[in-house]
Amino acid sequence: MVNVGKIARRSFLVGSVAVAGGVAFGYYAVQKPHKNPLLASLADGEATFNPWVKISSKGITLITPHADLGQGAYSMQAALIAEELDLEFGQFDIEPGVPAAAYYNTALGAELAPFRSTDESFQAETMRTVFSSVTKLMGAQGTGGSSSVPDSFEKLRIAGAVARETLKKAASKRTGIDVSDLTTRQAAVVLPDGTMLTYAELAADAAKIKPVKNVELRDPSEWRLVGKEMQRLDIIPKSTGTLTYGIDLDFEGMLYAAVKVNPRQGGELNGYDASTAETMRGVQKILPVTNGVAVIANNTWRAFKAVDAITYDWGDAPYPAEQADHWKAVEASFTDDFLDNEWRADGDVDAAIDGNSIEAEYRAPYVAHQPLEPIGAVIKVTDDRLDIWVGHQMPRFVQQQIAAITGHDVKDIHLHNQYMGGSFGHRLEFENVKLAAEIGNQMRGEIIKLTFSREEDFAHDFPRQIAMARGRGAVSGGQVEAYDLGVAAVSSSDSQGARANLSRPGPDGQLAAGAWNLPYAVPNFRMRTYKVPELAPTSSWRSVGASSNGFFADCFLDELIHAAGADPMAERIRLCDHDVSRKVLEAVAEMSGWGTDLGENRGRGVAFVESFGVPIAEVIEVTNTENGIRIDKVFVAADVGTVVDPINFDNHVKGGVVWGLGHAMNCEITYADGMAEQSNFHAHEGMRLHQCPEIVVRGLENAEKVRGIGEPPVPPAAPALANAIFAATGQRIREMPFNKHIQFV
Amino acid sequence: MRITVNGVTTNVDVEDEMPLLWVLRDELKVKGPKYGCGIAQCGACTVHVDGLAVRSCSITAKQVEGRDVTTIEGIGSPDALHAVQEAWIEHQVAQCGYCQSGQIMSAASFLSMHPSPSDDQIDHAMSANLCRCGTYPRIREAIKTAAAKMREA
Amino acid sequence: MKPRSISIFAIGFLLLGAAGTAFSHGPGDDGSQIDLVVNTPEEDVTLEAGLAAWDRIYTVTSHPRCSNCHTDERNEPMWSGPSYGKTRPHGMNINAGDSRIGVETIFCSTCHVQSTAPNTVRHAAPHTGHPWMLAPVEFNWFGQTSETVCAQMRDPERNGGRNGDDLVEHIIHDAEIKAFITWGFNPGGGREPAPGTMQEHLDDMVAWTAAGMPCPVDGD
Repeated sequence: MVNVGKIARRSFLVGSVAVAGGVAFGYYAVQKPHKNPLLASLADGEATFNPWVKISSKGITLITPHADLGQGAYSMQAALIAEELDLEFGQFDIEPGVPAAAYYNTALGAELAPFRSTDESFQAETMRTVFSSVTKLMGAQGTGGSSSVPDSFEKLRIAGAVARETLKKAASKRTGIDVSDLTTRQAAVVLPDGTMLTYAELAADAAKIKPVKNVELRDPSEWRLVGKEMQRLDIIPKSTGTLTYGIDLDFEGMLYAAVKVNPRQGGELNGYDASTAETMRGVQKILPVTNGVAVIANNTWRAFKAVDAITYDWGDAPYPAEQADHWKAVEASFTDDFLDNEWRADGDVDAAIDGNSIEAEYRAPYVAHQPLEPIGAVIKVTDDRLDIWVGHQMPRFVQQQIAAITGHDVKDIHLHNQYMGGSFGHRLEFENVKLAAEIGNQMRGEIIKLTFSREEDFAHDFPRQIAMARGRGAVSGGQVEAYDLGVAAVSSSDSQGARANLSRPGPDGQLAAGAWNLPYAVPNFRMRTYKVPELAPTSSWRSVGASSNGFFADCFLDELIHAAGADPMAERIRLCDHDVSRKVLEAVAEMSGWGTDLGENRGRGVAFVESFGVPIAEVIEVTNTENGIRIDKVFVAADVGTVVDPINFDNHVKGGVVWGLGHAMNCEITYADGMAEQSNFHAHEGMRLHQCPEIVVRGLENAEKVRGIGEPPVPPAAPALANAIFAATGQRIREMPFNKHIQFV
Repeated sequence: MRITVNGVTTNVDVEDEMPLLWVLRDELKVKGPKYGCGIAQCGACTVHVDGLAVRSCSITAKQVEGRDVTTIEGIGSPDALHAVQEAWIEHQVAQCGYCQSGQIMSAASFLSMHPSPSDDQIDHAMSANLCRCGTYPRIREAIKTAAAKMREA
Repeated sequence: MKPRSISIFAIGFLLLGAAGTAFSHGPGDDGSQIDLVVNTPEEDVTLEAGLAAWDRIYTVTSHPRCSNCHTDERNEPMWSGPSYGKTRPHGMNINAGDSRIGVETIFCSTCHVQSTAPNTVRHAAPHTGHPWMLAPVEFNWFGQTSETVCAQMRDPERNGGRNGDDLVEHIIHDAEIKAFITWGFNPGGGREPAPGTMQEHLDDMVAWTAAGMPCPVDGD
C-alpha cells in the first residue's frame, strides 16, 4: 500500500522539520488535529468520523469544503470519499460545510515554497512541509491555485476509508462477526451470508466507538470511480436551469441592493446628489458605503436604475490616471532598485551573449476576470448573528472581513457557500462581501440581496497584473546557448494579500512563475524579476503569474530557436532536462503530427509551460485567411499524475485553452481618467464559439504527484498561438492582446 | 399587466419598460434565465417569445404583453427533459453552468427551425452566446446530438 | 433630368395640405414629438444646389450609423465608427443571410427587438419601430463612393422601385414608425448620430429630388 507509506513519511518529515528547522510554530501545534466542526452540530443518532463524512439514519452527507466555482470540485471531492467508502453516486448528499480551520488547504502552502515543482530533493520537500504547516496553523481553508485535487486526493480517500472501517467495526460489534470477514458495498456492510447492514442503520452504533485510525488505502487497480468517467452531480440541474446560484437566492421579504463605488478604485466619494433617485419607484433606502452609495429597492432593476440616477463627485484615483503612465512605470522598473529576485543563474549569460545579443521586449496588459455570474451576496445582520450567502473561495477570510465591519464575533458569522457561476480568481476578493456587510449592518434585521451590475463588476474587478519582459539571448551551432529573461510586473500577490490582511515574506514567486522553472538545460540561463510599485490594484487571474510569464518565456525561447535555425519542437525536446516534461513534449509532437506539411498560409506553433506543478505543452495550427487569423486546431498534452475524472479533465483543459486564447486575442483593461475603459463584454470579449478551434487533449500520468488542472492549460495557449502566427505569417507578436497587431476571423 | 410565462398568466405590477429578465427573476421568481450583461452581449438571459429566442434583458415587459414567454423551465425539467437538455447532459457540457440556460434556449430555438444544421450554421447561430468557461467544443457536439434526437422524435 | 419641383409640391400638398406645414409623428426617442416639414422649394433647384444636397446626403448614407447595415452580398452587418474602434464585421459571427433578417441562422430580433421605446442603455443592442434587419442587398452603401451610392439611389431598379417622391415619402414614413432613418439621427445609448438632423436630411432629399436627382458624374 504505497499511499500509507507516503503518509508515514510526511508525518516523519513534519517532526524532523520542527526540530531541525527550529520552526517557531512547534511540532505539537503542527500535529494537533483541528477541532472537528461537525461535533458542534451533531444530532442524536448521528456519527461523525472526521470532518468529511456525516451519516445519520436519514442518509449520508459528504462534506465538500472546496468551493465549486464551476470546476466540478464538489463532484471530485465526493468521488474521492465515495471511492473508499463504497458509495455510488446517488447514495449521498453533499454539503459545502461551514468555514473551519479543519478544512485548511494542505496543497496551497506547498505551492508557496520557492522550489521548482520538479525538485523533489529533501530540502524542497522539507520546505513544502514547512509552508504547509503554516497554512495549517492559519487554518487557511481555500480554493485556488489548482490545489483542490492535490489537497483532497489522499485526505478524502483516507476520510472515506476511516468511515468505512469504523462502520465495519460497528457491524462487527453488533453481529459478533470478525471485521476481516466483513466487506462493504453500495453504502452497506456486507456479512458473509450476503446480508447487508446499511450505513444508515449502523450510524448510531458507530457513534459510540472510537474511529478507526489506521486504515489502508486501496490500490489504484481496485478503484471503481477514480480515473473513470463520471457524471457530475450538478450536470442535470445545470442543464435544466434548476441549479440555484448565489444570485438566484430568494427569501420572504428580501430587498434588493445595487451599489456604485468610485470607479477610480480606492478613490473617495466627495459628495453625491440622490434627489432624483429618492423619488424613483421601488426605492426604499439610499445608504452611504465606503467610497460609494448603495440603493435598496424592491427589485434589482429598480435598484440599478436608481443608483445610476445619482450624480457623484468622485475623488482621484490613487494610481496614475492614464494607461500610458502605467506602462511607463513598468518600463522604468528594470533596474537594480526594483530587483525582486534572481531566480536562476546557470552558467554565465553575459559572457555567452558577449555582443551577439538577440533581444526582444514583451508586454501583457491588465485583464479582467468577469465570470458570467456577477458578484454579489445575500446578507442578514442581527445584533447577535450574521448570515451571509455567497459563493467564495476563502470562506474564513470572509468571516474576518465582515467581523471587522460589523463587530460580530467570527463564531456568530455564518457563511453559506453557494454554487458559483465561474470565478477565475474573482471570488478570492472581498468587495461584494464587504459592501453587503456595510449595507446589512445599516439595515439590521432585513434580508438583502446585493447584485453588482456588469458595469460595476468591471469597474471594480481587480485585473491580472500588468507586466513586461525583456529577453536577451545567444545561439550558436544551431542551438540555444544563452537565455536571459527579466520580467517587470506589479505584484498581484502583494495587492491581493494587502486586502486580505496577509503579508508574505521574501520575493514574489508569482513574478517568476512559468518562466524561471522552464525545464530546459540552456547552458547559460538567467531569470530575474523586478517588482513594479503598485499601480492599479490587481489580483490572481486564472494561472496568475504564469499567465503572462508563459507568454514571455516561451515566445522568447521560440525566437532564439528560430534564430538558431533549429526545429522548435526538436530543440525544446533536446533542451528538456526533466523526464516527465520531455514525455509531454514528445506526446504533443506525436499527436499533432509535428513536422508534416500544413500547406499554404498555414502555420504550427508549440509552447510548453509548467505551472502549479503541471508540465503542459500545446501545439496550435492556424490559417492566415483573407479575413484574418483562424485558429484551426489545438493539441494538448498535460501530466497531472492521476486523472481523477477523464471527462471533467477534458472539459477543463479545453476551457483553459479557450480562456488563454480568447484573452490573448482580444482582451485588456486600460485606464483613462483613472477608470477602466472597458465596461462590459462588448469591449472585453474573449473567445466566441465560431472562433473555437478543435481541441485534442491527452492526459499523461507519469508524474508521481497528483495535480490540479484548473490553471495549467492557460499559460501555453498564448505563446503557442503567437508562435503559430509567426510560422504562418512571419509576424512575431510580442504584445497581448494580439488583435492590436493582427486580425482574427 | 398580464404576462404569460410557461403557460401561466400572471398579473404583474411593473413599469412598461422593465426588462422581461427582471420581471421573470424578481417578480415571478423564475430564475432559469440569468443576468450576465444586461445589453444582449452574453445571451445568458435567453428565453423564447412566441417560440423565437429573445434576450430577455433587451425586451420590455410591455412588449411581451399578450405573447407567450417560455423559459428553460418551460421546455423541460429533470423528470421530462427536452432533447437539447438530454444532449447537454450526455455530453456534460456545463462547467460553471451559468450561461447554459441561455445556450440551451438558443439551441432549442435554432434547432426547431433548422433540424439538420451544418457546422457553419451552428457557428453562426451560437456565437452570440458567451461562455466564459469555454465549453464551446461540447456545445457543438451536444447540438449535433440534439438535432439527431429531434429528427428521430 | 429635369427638375421636378412641381411634383414635390404636389406631394407636399397631398400630405400636409399646404407646403411648409409642420406635422408630427408619435413620441421620439427622447419622448418628444418628431416634427418634420416638407419645405417645398419655391423655385427650381439648380444643379449646383442639387449636387450640394447630394453631398450632404452622402455624408449621411456613408456614416456608420447608416452604412453599417447597408452591406454587400456577404450579408454581414458591420461594426465601424467611433463606438467600435477598428472596422470589422459585427461580432459574434453574425450573418443576416440572404433573408437579410437572420432566418438562416439567428434572427436579428434575438437581440434587436422591435420597439419605439427610447434607446437609453449604453452599448445595448439598439432597436427601432421596424424589425431590425439589413437593407436589401442592392442598397449596398458600406465603403462605396458617392458616385456609386448616388447611381443606386436614383435607379428604380435598385432602390425599391422608388421615384423621387417615393424617396421623400420613405423618409416621412420612416419617421411615422420610428424606423432606421429616424434612429440614425437619434441612436441613443451614447452612439454618434448621423450628421445633421432628420429635418435637414429631408430638406436635402427634397432639394436633390427636385433638382432631378443629380449625381457627381452629372456635374463634370
